[in-house]
Amino acid sequence: MARILIRFDEDQVSEPIASQIIIEYKVPMAILSAHINSKGGEILAEVPDDILEKVVNAFRQRGVSVTVPKLIEVDSDKCFSCGSCIALCPVEAISVAKDSTVQFDKEKCVGSTCSVCVDACPARAIKSIKQNSLENPANRKKKS
Amino acid sequence: MKKLVESSGVEVAFKEVDVVTTGTFGAMCSSGAVVNLGHSDPPIKIEKAWINDVDVCHPGAAVDLFIGATNMSEKLPFEYGGGHVIQDLVAGQEVELRATSYGTDCYPRTSLKTTLTKDDLNQFYLLNFRNCYQRYNCAVNSSDKTIYTYMSKLLPRFRNATYSGAGELNPLMNDPDYETMGMGTRIFLGGGQGYIIGEGTQHSPKNLNGTLMVKGDAKRMSPEFLQGAAFTGYGTSLYVGLGVPIPILNEGLAKKTAVQDKDILTDIVDYSVPRRDRPKFGQVSYKELKSGSITVNGKKIRVSSLSSLKIAKKVSQTLKSWIDEGTFLLTSPVERLPTNTAFKPMRQTEEIPFVVSVMHPAVTCTEKEEIQAIAKRIVTKSVNHIVVVDEAGKLIGIVTSWDVTRAMAEGKTALADIESHNVVTAKPDEPLEIASKRMAQNNISALPVIDIERKVLGIITAEDVSKLLGR
Repeated sequence: MARILIRFDEDQVSEPIASQIIIEYKVPMAILSAHINSKGGEILAEVPDDILEKVVNAFRQRGVSVTVPKLIEVDSDKCFSCGSCIALCPVEAISVAKDSTVQFDKEKCVGSTCSVCVDACPARAIKSIKQNSLENPANRKKKS
Repeated sequence: MKKLVESSGVEVAFKEVDVVTTGTFGAMCSSGAVVNLGHSDPPIKIEKAWINDVDVCHPGAAVDLFIGATNMSEKLPFEYGGGHVIQDLVAGQEVELRATSYGTDCYPRTSLKTTLTKDDLNQFYLLNFRNCYQRYNCAVNSSDKTIYTYMSKLLPRFRNATYSGAGELNPLMNDPDYETMGMGTRIFLGGGQGYIIGEGTQHSPKNLNGTLMVKGDAKRMSPEFLQGAAFTGYGTSLYVGLGVPIPILNEGLAKKTAVQDKDILTDIVDYSVPRRDRPKFGQVSYKELKSGSITVNGKKIRVSSLSSLKIAKKVSQTLKSWIDEGTFLLTSPVERLPTNTAFKPMRQTEEIPFVVSVMHPAVTCTEKEEIQAIAKRIVTKSVNHIVVVDEAGKLIGIVTSWDVTRAMAEGKTALADIESHNVVTAKPDEPLEIASKRMAQNNISALPVIDIERKVLGIITAEDVSKLLGR
C-alpha cells in the first residue's frame, strides 16, 4: 500500500472526482483523513501499490494535485525521548522501546494532515513536511 | 536496590549496597545561569542586555548577567529562550550579546555589541532556584477545547493526560527525610558536577513536594543533559539532568531507596480550570503513569511523560560510573534541608471577581414551547436571554429578545427556527475577566454558566459585568 495526499482546489470540491476514480479503476482506496470545505481541501488515502501510478495519473488528469507525501520528519538528534507526543497520536504510531527510547513508526503515521504531535514537542524535533506537489500540466494551464 | 530489597530483604541490601544513584531529566523552569562578561573598554554598566535576542538582565553590577530559562527571544518568542541560550553556550556555540546603558562617569559606554563563547566568560554558573520536584501532577483537560500549558498540549474532554518526573528514580523520593542530602551535597548536574545549595523555592517536603536549589560550573556541563525546550502557548524552559548519590548509611535508607513506582501517588488535575486550586480526579501511581494509560472517571485515557526516563536513567548510570571510577566523591551536607515546611499561597490584598460572584438564575424554556410564550416570559421577567434546556436542566440552546423580534417580523412560530445551538458558555469558577473577554470576542451579551455535565447553573450578562466594574 502507498499513501497519497490529494489536494482539491476551490473549484474542484463540488465534483465527485474521488468517487469517479474509485469506480472507474475499481480501487479499494482507504481514506485515512480528510479535511474538505467549500474552499478546497485534502484527502490522505491509501492505495494498493500495483495501481498507484494509474490512480495518481487519473487524479492529475482531472486537474487535482497528488503527492506521495513524506509525512512527518523526526530529528533524532534533537529528540530527547520525553514522549510528550505518544498519547496525542491518534494512530498509535509512537511508542517507547525497552531502553525508554521514543520511536516513530513512519508506516503508521498519517502525516501532515494530522500533525497533532508537532506543536507538542518541547525539543521541536518533529516537523510536518508540507511537500510541494509536482506541478501538473492541467493546473499550469489554468493559472496562465 | 529495589530488586535486592524485594528478594533478599533490607538487612542484606544494607550490607551489600554502599550507594544508590538517582536521576531525573525534566523541564525545570526555575533554572538559569549567572555569567560574568569581564569589562569592555571603555567600560559599561549594563542596564539592558540581550543574548541571541533573549533579555538576560538582572539588577546587579556592571557586567554580571542572569540568563533566565523562561525568558523568551524577542524575535522568536515561544520557540527560543533563555534555556536555549544556556544550551548553546554549554555546547560551545557563539552567541550574540547586545547591551545598552545610560552612561556614568565611571562607566561611560552606552551601547555594546559583541559575540561570545563560554570560553570568553569569567564565570558561567548554572544557578537553579527550584529543581528536581519530588513528584508532579498528572494533567488532564475537561473542557471542550485544546489547551496549551506548561504540562504541554492537553486535548479536550480527557482525550490525553500528561505527567512529569522519574518516579522511583527521582532523587528526593529515595531520601524523603533528607538524611543524606543537604547544603553542600555534591551532585550530578547537567552532565557536570554541582552542589545542592539549599532547599528549592516552594519546597514542600511535608506533602512529598520537595525541591532543591542547586548550582554548578556550566562550562563543564554537557548539552545532552541541559536542553532548551519550547512549550507552545506557554513559553520556553530548560530540561535539566540532575542526579543525587545516596549513601546507604543505615537500614532505613536501604528501605527508603527501595521505593517503587507503584507506591508513589500523584493527583490527576484538571488544567482547564484557570485557578490556583484546580479540580482533582483522584490519584494515580507512577507505575500506572509509566504504563501509558490511566483511568479517569471510569474512562481509560492515554498518558504521556514530559520528562525523559531514558535520560534520567543515563544520569543515574553516569553518576554510578563516576563513583566507580573515583572521579566523583561523595560529600556529607554541611546543613540539612527543612523537612517540615509547606508551600503557602500568595497573600492577596485585592480579590478578583469570579463568574460565580455575579451569576444569577437563568430564565429557561424547553424546546417544546412556542415563541409566543417565550416572548411573554421575556417581558414578565424583563430579561433579554432565555436559555433552552432539556428535562435534566442541561443546556440545549439560547434565544434572545432579538431572535424573538425577528421571528415575529418574519412570521416564524417554531422555536427550533430561531434558537442558537452553538452556545458560548462560562464556568462558575472562571475569573470574570476571562468570561467577559469571551463575550466581547464573540460579540454577544450573555453567557449561560454550566457545570461539567452541561447543566445550567445560571447566567451572566454584559450588564452584570459593567455594573461590577462601575462599582
